[in-house]
Amino acid sequence: MELTDADLIARVLVDDDQHAFGELARRHQSSVRGLLRQLTRTDVALADDLAQETFLRAYKNIRSFRGEARFSTWLYRIAYNCFRENARRRKELVGIDEEQLQSEHDPHVADPGLRHDIMHALSLLPLPERSAILLCCQNGLSHDEAARVLDIPLGTVKTNMLRGREKLKRTLAAWGPD
Amino acid sequence: MDEKQQENWLDRQLREAAPYIDDQGFTSRVLKQLPARRRRRDSLRAVILLGITFLASVLAYGLSDGGRFVVVAMERLTTLPTLWLFALAFGCGIAVMAGGIFAAIFKTRELQS
Repeated sequence: MELTDADLIARVLVDDDQHAFGELARRHQSSVRGLLRQLTRTDVALADDLAQETFLRAYKNIRSFRGEARFSTWLYRIAYNCFRENARRRKELVGIDEEQLQSEHDPHVADPGLRHDIMHALSLLPLPERSAILLCCQNGLSHDEAARVLDIPLGTVKTNMLRGREKLKRTLAAWGPD
Repeated sequence: MDEKQQENWLDRQLREAAPYIDDQGFTSRVLKQLPARRRRRDSLRAVILLGITFLASVLAYGLSDGGRFVVVAMERLTTLPTLWLFALAFGCGIAVMAGGIFAAIFKTRELQS
């Protein structure tokens, strides 16, 4: 029988079982790394460094996990904080520079695949809208959970979702259903 | 195009666009960076508790004329009626069980919080 996240967390808390924590990391590494890759605009090396930092912080602070939210939601919050601190250090957390992004977007090298276009369209969104879309649409969080992860009001999450969706729809109009 | 249909399509595509990222040694790297286990602290605690218990026993033995009080207590116990002995044993068992239950509840609450 496969152990639940709660079972594994209890083992870490009671026995300081690092193998149990390893299993937790194995289960959630893909979603955490995926989120960070999108937040860092596919800077894989930076995203993986931040993901490692995320799991280390999670291990050190696991006693503060109260089980009120899902473990994955708690991890996303740590991951987002790691990203934000890193971005502050790099002075990148100033919203998006549209001109810079337009210049980054070279239509001639774009992969014709829909997945590539979606990921690229996501990377073009301003950080607040991108974060909300990633958490709610890709990682399945509710608006309320996303608000807690991002530490912003619920209404702001909804607004960012709406704006982000509109922009994505416009960008991906050619791919939409007939 | 229907607005709702378009939104559903977009949500589905967004979900499907997120690829599964293979571990490729990521978890191992995380585990290597974890701080050392707390076992050393736990064993130190056990050593302190055992040491204090041993010291207290030696002190009690020395201060009570070679454990004379134990012999006296045993002599008194033998003079007690059988029913009293059963009651005493039962009472001691209940006290130990209550202590265990209290410790378990306390530990569970600590883990839940």
